Amino acid sequence: MEGRGSAVNTPATSRPVTRRSKSYGRSCVEAPSYFWQTPGHLTVLKIPTSREAAKSQIITNKVDPEHIALLVKNEWKLSYVTPLYRFRHTELKSYSKHLSAFIIAERQQGVAVEVGLEAGFKVTFTSVLGLAETSEDAETVFIQIQSKPVFAAAADAPKVVWRGWLTCVNGDPEYLRALPPDFVSLPLFCTSGPESLTTLVKSWFERAFDCNFGSLALNSTTLNWLAALWTGCHPTCNIRYLKLAWSLPSQPPLDVSYTVNPQDAWELWNSIHPEESTDGRIDIKEVQSFMNGLETHFFRHFKIYLSAGKLVKVSTALGSAQLDGKIKIGNSDYITTLLTMLTECALLKMLT
Amino acid sequence: MADLSNLTGLVSEPSGEIDSSVSSASNRSLRLAEKEKRKAKADPFGLAVKYLSQVEAGTVVRGNDELERNLVVVETVALSKGLPPEVITVLLDMALSLNAGTVNCTRVLKFLIPATVVPQEAIVKGVSWLCVGKMPMNAQVLFVRWVLTVFDLIDCKDNLRSIYGFIFSFVTEENLCPFICHLLYLLTMREHVHPYRVRKLLDIQAKMGRQPFLTQLLALYKVFRPDLVTLSLPSRARTGFKNHSSTWKVALSAVQKKNKSAVSVDQSLTLDVKEKPSSRKRKLHHLAIPSLSSAFDSNSSKKVFRLQELQSFKELLENIHHIELPAQMGSLLGSALALHYLDCVQDESAFLRLNFWLGHSLQEEFLLCPVDGSSDNTSEACRFLSTVLFSQQFLQEGFSSTESFLYKFLRVWDGSLLRPQILDLLSDIPLMPSFYVHKLLFEPLKQLYFTSTVFFKCSVIECLNSMLVKWLTWHSVSASDGGLDISLNSNSTMTMTLSGFMDSVMELVHFVGLLASEGLRLENCHILLLNQSLAFYETVCDMFVKYSLPLIIMPPAGVFYPALFATDSISVDRLGYIMYRYRKNLTLAKKQEQQREKTPHISRNTYNEFNRNLQAMVNSMWNSWWCIPGSDLEIDKELIALSKVAEPWCRFDLIHHPALFSYAIEFHQRCWPERKDVDLGSIKTGKYWNWYMEFLFNQGFDGLKNFIQTNTGTAPH
Repeated sequence: MEGRGSAVNTPATSRPVTRRSKSYGRSCVEAPSYFWQTPGHLTVLKIPTSREAAKSQIITNKVDPEHIALLVKNEWKLSYVTPLYRFRHTELKSYSKHLSAFIIAERQQGVAVEVGLEAGFKVTFTSVLGLAETSEDAETVFIQIQSKPVFAAAADAPKVVWRGWLTCVNGDPEYLRALPPDFVSLPLFCTSGPESLTTLVKSWFERAFDCNFGSLALNSTTLNWLAALWTGCHPTCNIRYLKLAWSLPSQPPLDVSYTVNPQDAWELWNSIHPEESTDGRIDIKEVQSFMNGLETHFFRHFKIYLSAGKLVKVSTALGSAQLDGKIKIGNSDYITTLLTMLTECALLKMLT
Repeated sequence: MADLSNLTGLVSEPSGEIDSSVSSASNRSLRLAEKEKRKAKADPFGLAVKYLSQVEAGTVVRGNDELERNLVVVETVALSKGLPPEVITVLLDMALSLNAGTVNCTRVLKFLIPATVVPQEAIVKGVSWLCVGKMPMNAQVLFVRWVLTVFDLIDCKDNLRSIYGFIFSFVTEENLCPFICHLLYLLTMREHVHPYRVRKLLDIQAKMGRQPFLTQLLALYKVFRPDLVTLSLPSRARTGFKNHSSTWKVALSAVQKKNKSAVSVDQSLTLDVKEKPSSRKRKLHHLAIPSLSSAFDSNSSKKVFRLQELQSFKELLENIHHIELPAQMGSLLGSALALHYLDCVQDESAFLRLNFWLGHSLQEEFLLCPVDGSSDNTSEACRFLSTVLFSQQFLQEGFSSTESFLYKFLRVWDGSLLRPQILDLLSDIPLMPSFYVHKLLFEPLKQLYFTSTVFFKCSVIECLNSMLVKWLTWHSVSASDGGLDISLNSNSTMTMTLSGFMDSVMELVHFVGLLASEGLRLENCHILLLNQSLAFYETVCDMFVKYSLPLIIMPPAGVFYPALFATDSISVDRLGYIMYRYRKNLTLAKKQEQQREKTPHISRNTYNEFNRNLQAMVNSMWNSWWCIPGSDLEIDKELIALSKVAEPWCRFDLIHHPALFSYAIEFHQRCWPERKDVDLGSIKTGKYWNWYMEFLFNQGFDGLKNFIQTNTGTAPH
């Protein structure tokens, strides 16, 4: 046993030693995708400390106005999605058929359903072209479920019961590039409609594209950013109001709703971040001092430290966002800024 | 039918055997004689079969004594010994043609017990009689039930499969439908699933409601063609087919038992559909392992084998080149057979999918901690982690998603939640550069270690020991592979130089050295902790010989001396073994260096350190003196004098050592049973000393034995 000279097999010089061949997935310490695996401090996806100011763009020049109208109307509940395996934008028609068959089958457990038969539910998948900002972004997919009541008259139009869309706007290019071509990353999933249908749609996606969903709650920092970014838009587009809601951990809990005159808010913001001064980038410190300014003002009047509580909602005419992951898009011209931010939140949450 | 004349010969035993077959073997000669006698006569069974095969249509049945008599002959044989294949063909044809009337049709079907196999052609013919449509419904049902019962005895099924369409056409018969569905279930192949058949079944479903037999068949269709049909089974659905074999069950099993036929029939024709986990009221199902299913857009033109169809390892081997991965990679963890397949998968995307799923599940459950109170359910989490562990141990490799999960989880772990599972998962962490090991693993682990109980400390040392063994094993395997990069995908491999590997191992060994010596100090040399630490050094001391790693690291003083002065004999014995193995390793290293005249790859310091430890051990145990020249361990003589211990230098020799003291006493008693005053010093004199050594070695102290023998030159090399 000992006679088996080990040095015969093991030269003392440094010869490359490889990790076992089939590393299941990728190691956390190798280059291409370590941000997927590693804890915060090693992550490539860092929480940005500065961003570009919100810029208005007439989105309807790029995207079909009808599609945009669909996104603007509703309040959306947010989720994150891991990359979709073998999702193809060319197969949307067949997905429509399968999802509707799936919903019917799930609704009547134990009864088989033929794929492609239209009964009860009609599902439509559409791609919303033009919302993607970079070449790495996959095109947004919009899903609509219409229901035909059993006893409806023939002339009755089917009613839309559920809407949802998967999107990726300005997703981290390094992350997207690192994914093998079999995967499509549309990390942000917005839904509107009954929870039961949302669950069904999610579980269909999970089975069809081997992906997973998790709920996406926003954090206060994101809300702070939105408050500042939206306020900064006031000169170009009237934000009408800046409404902020706090929840204070007192006994009983105290909810504070704080509405600021848009002009006042903008003047405060402008004093912190002069419009003409910088290269258009906004630093997180500026955002913080903006919020501090608002909080100090409130303290002066009501002697309540808002910083002791949690900012739970921000809304302006451009849109609104809540801590529990609900958003509304008020003005389509600023949609890109909002979606960029939410895509980033979804990716960060996914990779925690 | 032409060779009916041969039938007599084919019937293995003449019919008269029935009675004598129960008789004992004692009158064997008698039986033989009788047999001879009978053979001379015409064979009644053969004649009866011959008669029955010639029954023509329109034969008068009522009052036909001859028919009745022949039927009885065949029936008796059938029920006692079963019928040979040819007779089955003949009788089935006779019965289904209704030549002997409807009553006899059911009667014949009921005693149609095969002795060995059922020829496929008989069934095909039977189906064609079914198509003629003359048979009454109860006979039709009986026939199909009979086919189901003997299905596993049918010699070959390809012709039966080619008349799938004919069989399928009977699903519309309401009474036949349950049995036809079962038969189709047993016959269906992928090519049989067509849209028009799916539609037909769905029509029937619409008429009859959700019948288990329809659901079962449709579920099979879904397996083959998920693009055509979809179905979701309720969690507590009644699945499987009812057992249709009751009519023949008793007779068939009796005959089979008697014939001890090699062909066995599955008596319980029910399907064992894997029971789904009972429906829980959990909102989030991220801890459920998905079930195997295929993607609906799977390539339908290619010949594929689906994992759901996989029943045995043999099937896996036969189909390994066209197995289709399931829609959800996570489902592979639920099946042991699928894990075998996973071990051969080379597709990078597949592992990425698996890791996405696993990472997501672990993250949602343990890091994002759902607030719906479901995380209280640790038994489920425990089951999940155990499955992951089982898979990792099966594949002998950790998943990268568990690895990265652990790095995050260690920072929030309280050290008690699911401790055994988490520590087991930790030990699967693959090799990585020392910088990362330290930052991601050791830092958080150190904090937990020093703030937890001694039992946790023991578990941590044990876990790191098993991690070290895995790393070393990996190294020895890859080194004997010639160090080639055998990975297909270059970007999925981490390359590491040998020195990088040694750095990581060194980091790990030093880390455990620190944990062990500090832990022993904190826990007052707890005996369990000491033993875990020594177990770790049993791995470390043999790295060169066992794993071909040119690295020898000595235990720190904080481990060595507590073991040397331990009060339990096991620790001392273990230390003896460890020192013995160190010596072996160092000797081999030295020999190789001299032979190859290469620069020494074991540092001088290691030899010195070993010698110092060796000297300390030999001196205290053997030579009864302490002074170790040049040692960093000098004890002030005056300080010892203060303790007022007589002859302090003798206190740790082989006689007075607290761990061995009781053995010395026992030895003394055996040697001088009459002596009242114990004088242990007398053991040291003359032959008694050798006897004492032998006595000690006979107590199972192999470690000490090896140590003493090699170091006193008494060992046979």
